[in-house]
This record gives sequence, structure tokens and C-alpha cells, in this order.
Amino acid sequence: MSPVKMTARGVNVYYGDNHALRDVSVDILDKTVTAFIGPSGCGKSTFLRCLNRMNDTIPTARVEGSITLDGQDIHDPAVDPVQLRARVGMVFQKPNPFPKSIYDNVAYGPRIHGLARDRAELDAIVERALTRAALWNEVKDRLSSPGTGLSGGQQQRLCIARAIATSPEVLLMDEPCSALDPIATAQIEELIDELRQTYSLVIVTHSMQQAARVSQKTAFFHMGQLVEQGDTTKIFTNPSDRRTQDYITGRFG
Amino acid sequence: MSPHIVSAFDEDLRAITARIAEMGGLAEELLTTALEAVETRDSDMAEQVILRDKRLDRLEHEVDDLCVRVIALRQPMAQDLRLVVAALKMSTVLERIGDLSKNIAKRSKALAQAQRINLSGSVVRMGQQTLRLLNEVLDAFSSRDVALAVSVWRRDIEIDEFYNSLFRELVTYMMEEPRIIGLGSQLLFIAKNLERIGDHTTHIAELVYWIVEGEPLGDDRPKGAPVSMDGILG
Repeated sequence: MSPVKMTARGVNVYYGDNHALRDVSVDILDKTVTAFIGPSGCGKSTFLRCLNRMNDTIPTARVEGSITLDGQDIHDPAVDPVQLRARVGMVFQKPNPFPKSIYDNVAYGPRIHGLARDRAELDAIVERALTRAALWNEVKDRLSSPGTGLSGGQQQRLCIARAIATSPEVLLMDEPCSALDPIATAQIEELIDELRQTYSLVIVTHSMQQAARVSQKTAFFHMGQLVEQGDTTKIFTNPSDRRTQDYITGRFG
Repeated sequence: MSPHIVSAFDEDLRAITARIAEMGGLAEELLTTALEAVETRDSDMAEQVILRDKRLDRLEHEVDDLCVRVIALRQPMAQDLRLVVAALKMSTVLERIGDLSKNIAKRSKALAQAQRINLSGSVVRMGQQTLRLLNEVLDAFSSRDVALAVSVWRRDIEIDEFYNSLFRELVTYMMEEPRIIGLGSQLLFIAKNLERIGDHTTHIAELVYWIVEGEPLGDDRPKGAPVSMDGILG
């Protein structure tokens, strides 16, 4: 089994008076795809956003409990959230390329983190990221055109290229395919499988079939609680908890 | 189990279960009639079994089509998926039970033309015991009764033992009375068919257990020893 990359212990999240996440403990394994599933409002995205401290940006949000990356507490005052997000990257539901060229979208992270000494090194990083995101062949001749001019599926792969350009260790994906057609979805899923060789991936999805297809571990959230977690095969063929069974078989809303 | 949000999904699963129940009822009927044909030496009954078996074959295809459709259109998960996969297997198993019953019916026609021997009564009794197990396992399927399924699974050994003792008796009898070897062989094949039906019945019991529990029943089922020739061919 892969080693543990991130751990969460007794995590509670409050948005003002709203207790959004209750006592969640989970291990995120390295070189593994972990899927979070559950009905809308169950807390899965909230929890995903805890993993790279995205909830810090919401003034009313309060996060309790411990979350570690390679054993280090990510809430430690010594941890810079911007540096943390370079190590724990994120891809969002709607493709959101910057209103810049394809090249600059990917080069953005490496530039602000000073990862390249010169233009040639930056070119190499951009090409590698676009290649890994399975987009290079489609865009190599128009790197200076705007990223927003690409198709939806290409834009999402551009966002993945942007996220992996800083060589993150963990990649968080919040509904990465919900705005994409089946072909683009399949390309992203193929990409997720490929990225698993290098990264630890966490994906939030409403598509149970997608969770079943791409992940090795699955966690089911319901009403702010982590109900059940385990091997994806087990969760989808023989879940232990009645609520998991009812959800994955389409028995409650 | 609470209903699905999409009620048509429930209807599909109900349709599969209903077809399996119909196949089970038909398989029971074929075996019952075949045994009666053996007992009463009634060739018309035997003919009836052969004709009715065609309906079982058609039902098997209907179940397979329904299951494939549900998998393609509804992507069943967990217990739903297990029901669909088990139904695919049960349709095959029940169709086999129909074939074996048909084979018994065919052999009964040959028996009807020969002299009556005592041992045919034993074969019929073995058949009735097999029929009881089949009956119970089908009940276990419709009520999802795991305890009943396990009980059937354990009691298949009685059928195996019945078969072993019949085998020894028949072989002994044939050695003493070579004139009835033809007849005895028919009875032996009938007994073997019944023993096979018993095995298929335990397979259904395992499937019922798997649908409900999500794990296999295990393989430590009590089994009869293979037939021994000790004391027969000395």
C-alpha cells in the first residue's frame, strides 16, 4: 500500500453558526486517487478546501482539528498558505483559465514561485506541464493565443497543466468534469489515472460512476459527517453502512 | 429496502425478480412432473415435460436481456448489482435444472417399457427430497431468507448420500441380475441427474447468500465422499 501523504484528524468546520463538517478523520495516500462522494451540501467540498487551506479566504469560516502534509501540521504558523497551495494544487469545477495566453496561464505559477532561472527553463516547464496534461499537441502551435479561446475540455486540461506546473505533491479536484462532454471527461479521467503515478489526487465528484472509474479509495460524506471510507471496490459493491448503500444505489435524495 | 428515487428502476428489478420466480416455479413443475412420469410410468407426462422445457429456455433469454438492459441503462450498484448478476447466473442454473428434468422424463419413457423394479421407488424418493430442497431455496430467494438458504446448502449432503447408497444398491442389483443392466443404467442416470440438480440448488443457495451479505458463503460445505466400490467389486 502507498504511504500516507496527508492526514486529517477530528476536523470540524463552522461557517459562522453553521457546523458544516463534524469530526472528520481520514488518511490521503500518496500515488492514489481518493474520491469524495455524497449529496450536495454534505461537506465534501468543504473538506477538500481544508486540505490546502482554501477556507482561510472565507472570513466566517473556522477550522478545528489537525491536518498534516508529510507529517507537518498545515496550520502551523511557520507554514505559508501560498507555499502550501503550490504543494497542494487545486482544479475547480468550472474551467477558469486566466485571461492570458495559454503559455502565460501555465507559466504563472512557476514565475511567482521562482521555479525557472531563465526563459528556456520556463519553456521546458510549460511544455512538460502541457504534455502531462495531454494538451501539448493541440496547442503547441498557438501558445500565445488566449487560454479562454480553447474548448471547455481543453480549458480544463489547461487548468490542470497550470496546477501541475508548480510540481505539486497533492492535486485537489472539485468536480473537474461536470462542465465537460463525455469525450473530454474521458480524457480528464485518463489524465487522472496517468497523474496518479506521480501525485496524490483527491477528487470530489457527483458522478458515482466517475468515482468508481478513477479512484482506488472512496469516502462517503453525508450531512457533514464522514459516513464510510475504504477501497472503492468495496464501497461500490458491498458498502458497510446503510446510508452509503442507499446513496450509491440511488435510494435517497 | 427503501424504494429508488427513480421508480422505473424498481420496476426493472421487480421484473427481473418476477421472471426468476417464474423460472423457479417452472423448474419445480418440470421436476415434479418428471418424477411422476417415473413413478406412474406415464409417457404422456414425460412428453409434457419435454414440451414445457421450451418455455424455460425462452425465460432464460428474457432474464438475460432484462439484466443486460438494466446494467446498460441504470448502472446498478451494491445490492442492486448483486441481484442483477445473481439473476444472470440463476437463469442459467434454473435452465439447467429444466434440462436435467427433461432428461429424467426422457429416461422415464424407456423405464415405462420395461419391467418394474423396486429401486425405482428409491429413485423417486431421492427426487422428492431434491424437490423439497429446490422448493426451499426458491422460497429463500423470494424472501431473501439467508438462514433458509444456508440450511438448504448444508442439507445437500443428504442428496449426495442418497445418491451414493442408491449407486451401490443399483450396481449390486445389476451384478446379480444382468438382465436388468439396461434398466438399472437408466435409473443410475436419473439418480445422477437428481444429484446434479441438488448441486445446482446449493449454487442458488450460495447466490441468495451473496445477494444479501455481499460475500461468498465459503467453501466448507459438507460434501459426501465419492462413491466407493468397496464391498461391491471385491
